[in-house]
Amino acid sequence: MFRVASIRLAALVSRARVAATVTAAPRLAINKPNMMPSIITSARWYSDNGGLSREKIESRIINLLQDFDKVNQEKLTPTADFSKDLGLDSLDTVEVVMAIEEEFSVEIPDDDADNISSVKKAIDYIAGREDAN
Amino acid sequence: MALNASLRSTWNLSALRRLAQRGFSTAAVQRMATEKPPNPKTFKIYRWNPDSPTEEPRMQEYKLDLSQTGPMVLDALIKIKNEVDPTLTFRRSCREGICGSCAMNIDGKNTLACITHIPKEEPSKDMLIYPLPHMYVVKDLVPDMTYFYKQYASIKPWLQRKDAPEANKEILQSPEERKKLDGLYECILCACCSTACPSYWWNQDVYLGPSVLLQAYRWMADSRDQHLQERLSQMENAFSVYRCHTIMNCTRTCPKHLNPGYAIAQIKLLMTKN
Amino acid sequence: MGTRRLSGLQKDVLRLYRDCLRAIKTKPEETQHRFRAFARQEFEKNIVSVKRTDVRAIEYMLRVGRRRMEQYMSPNVRDISFI
Repeated sequence: MFRVASIRLAALVSRARVAATVTAAPRLAINKPNMMPSIITSARWYSDNGGLSREKIESRIINLLQDFDKVNQEKLTPTADFSKDLGLDSLDTVEVVMAIEEEFSVEIPDDDADNISSVKKAIDYIAGREDAN
Repeated sequence: MALNASLRSTWNLSALRRLAQRGFSTAAVQRMATEKPPNPKTFKIYRWNPDSPTEEPRMQEYKLDLSQTGPMVLDALIKIKNEVDPTLTFRRSCREGICGSCAMNIDGKNTLACITHIPKEEPSKDMLIYPLPHMYVVKDLVPDMTYFYKQYASIKPWLQRKDAPEANKEILQSPEERKKLDGLYECILCACCSTACPSYWWNQDVYLGPSVLLQAYRWMADSRDQHLQERLSQMENAFSVYRCHTIMNCTRTCPKHLNPGYAIAQIKLLMTKN
Repeated sequence: MGTRRLSGLQKDVLRLYRDCLRAIKTKPEETQHRFRAFARQEFEKNIVSVKRTDVRAIEYMLRVGRRRMEQYMSPNVRDISFI
């Protein structure tokens, strides 16, 4: 219970920052801080996501979709559209987004959830949430 | 149906026989039964069935002979339900204007069906019956009062004290203090006034509406209540009270002849004073 | 690739479904799958029977759905069975 509450709180706090997030995350996210002078290592790397690399997010989301039996597995790619490619209807999409919430321990507000309609958008969104883990 | 009809006719016969035994001549008894000339009237009633939500609401006509019907609109509704169409749905309970269940819109006015006479004009006009306006409909004439009751609960309609009264002692009130509650305590929360109020129609989510505000004032005016400041500060916003623009439909329609408009004005006065 | 645009009403329906799924997480773990199947079935039933343009009917069913969800959210409701 406490955990859920703290996640919620974190989600609230980070919402403002998420809004400013750049969607395309650099591929070498993990190495970045090491290349920077120590003085700015404390700077926030929105796309870093505290160690969650884009690849990692991508593979976890793809994994999750592989377990979802309604997904058309042949067309499952990192750019696949939930309805056009994977053959999911709107209720399925809600279920997928909920599963992603659980996978990364974040709560996705309604307005954001309504817009997650493809694998890429899901990856972008989670990459922008620094409280995801 | 056939069984019903035969049952009814036997009942009528035995009733007549009983009257005859009490010393009425058969002719007189028959005259009593047929004395009133038939007086047909058409009732047009709003129908909507939640089991088929894709069907439009419609007006259904029922013809009744008023000579065989009780004097009130509720009598007509009950007669329709009992004898014509058992699917017609409406709320009723006390049939004497004290429970507020049968509030509905009758010939354009929000009122209680049980204390509204069926007008016997010549020639007879059709009577239009709708549920309370601008409320979600549960079925036919039954409005969804959930939100209305939530609003009522929000004003804490009970006595609130800061100090506990002495053991086994009543909280006394002078006759003058008691008099302040007249015209307030009689409200039966039928919601006729609130659902007649244009402000309430458009701002139901934020404006409390005349009925709930009259109740709120009832507790503010009570000499035994000690939470006046809290009650007032709860209303200190642009909507709860101040959506009232003294249109006064509330007072015009109240079936108990109360004056919610005045009660709201009193709240506004208290707000400026405190 | 055009994003699918949802109408306000469609969003409301999906929100109700999402809220149902969230509410189901408060139920005992071993019964959650039954609640999920039930919610899904209730939504699908009406997708077939109601025209997408019938705003009045959809709004009505949203209200009913929300009320039913609130009822089922009571901690006393621990399991569900349906056909």
